[in-house]
Amino acid sequence: MASSFWKGVVGLGLFALAHAAFSAAQHRSYMRLTEKEHETLPIDIVLQTLLSFVMTCYGIVHIAGEFKDMDASSELKNKTFDTLRNHPSFYLFNHRGRVLFRTPEEESTSARNPQALPNPIRLRKLEHLH
Amino acid sequence: MASLSEMYDVGWEEMRDKLRKWREDNCRNSEQIVDVGEELISEHSSKLGDDIWIIYEQVMIAALDCSRDDLALTCLQELRKQFPDSHRVKRLTGMRLEALERYDDANKHYDAILQEDPTNTAARKRKISILRAQGKSTEAIRELNEYLEQFVGDQEAWHELSELYINEHDYGKAAFCLEELMMTNPHNHLYCEQYAEVKYTQGGMENLELARKYFAQALRLNNRNMRALFGLYMSASHIAASPKVSAKVKKDNIKYAAWAAAQINRAYKVSIEMSYLDSTFHCFYSFFFFIGY
Repeated sequence: MASSFWKGVVGLGLFALAHAAFSAAQHRSYMRLTEKEHETLPIDIVLQTLLSFVMTCYGIVHIAGEFKDMDASSELKNKTFDTLRNHPSFYLFNHRGRVLFRTPEEESTSARNPQALPNPIRLRKLEHLH
Repeated sequence: MASLSEMYDVGWEEMRDKLRKWREDNCRNSEQIVDVGEELISEHSSKLGDDIWIIYEQVMIAALDCSRDDLALTCLQELRKQFPDSHRVKRLTGMRLEALERYDDANKHYDAILQEDPTNTAARKRKISILRAQGKSTEAIRELNEYLEQFVGDQEAWHELSELYINEHDYGKAAFCLEELMMTNPHNHLYCEQYAEVKYTQGGMENLELARKYFAQALRLNNRNMRALFGLYMSASHIAASPKVSAKVKKDNIKYAAWAAAQINRAYKVSIEMSYLDSTFHCFYSFFFFIGY
């Protein structure tokens, strides 16, 4: 809801900017027609341009989202190895979660899988000692 | 059983934002993801719009972690219906086969993907993970090295390779991988700290000095890193205690170790004081409660 208000502000600011530009062009052509080319732009057009510019900038800042710190290392201050060590493309599934969370019916009905390793997780490194 | 949104009084938008935060931070809290995601999918699927597909993927991987094969299959079927020829969905099919330990079928699957698209990095990484799951670490290392020769910028793969080398106790090569990571992420204090730890484990005077320097660098990047503080203390004390160093080096390292020890004591003093305050408050409170009877 708040963002649509700021979007409205930006839209209004841009419209006012376009309107000021149009009136400045119209004023210029009027000056050329009446041969008074040395008069400066009327103050209300100048004020409208500046105010609408400020309004547009203010509205865009509110739409743009969260600002990040300039210091690149500060946003890493709260990061820990818990999340840094996880590589989603390399996730393995042969961990104890497969056994811990298994419901009892599954254990009795799961057929012997011929491709599974006989000793999936734990004692592989000790096999050569047997 | 009460739903999560009733128990914790959260709306579906907060649940969706939580899932997005976990996805971006690479958190592997699979039980929570399954609880939150299952409720989102079953009750709020119409309000999620296009977000639902990525949530299906996230929940499916979490369900494989929690041995919820029914939920994983449901998510996979929905994704297959929506994206019939997608390589990403085929990779998820392969991951499900891996979770069921059908490694040969999974390998065939990934080979089919690679035949259609030889540059598909995800399928190659899954094949490497299959080798790792089967315990064939040396082949996994070899395949990962070949992959990294082609795709040098893949940070995840470099970190995975360093972990594989650490497991094989090949600390020199692990340090090389971490150096690559430090080069591309100079502001990340965790890579500095892990590199320093590997150097410390390797041992020897130059490695200890290097470790101390990188622990200090990690502290400079983030002064709240306790592990780096402990590492600085230990490496400085080891150098100072070694008989082969000159007197000046010894004196300098004793100074560094003393500084690190003071910082550690200060950090723990603050937290101990806080916990003392906490426990005295509880004592008083329960005392008055007791004599009130």
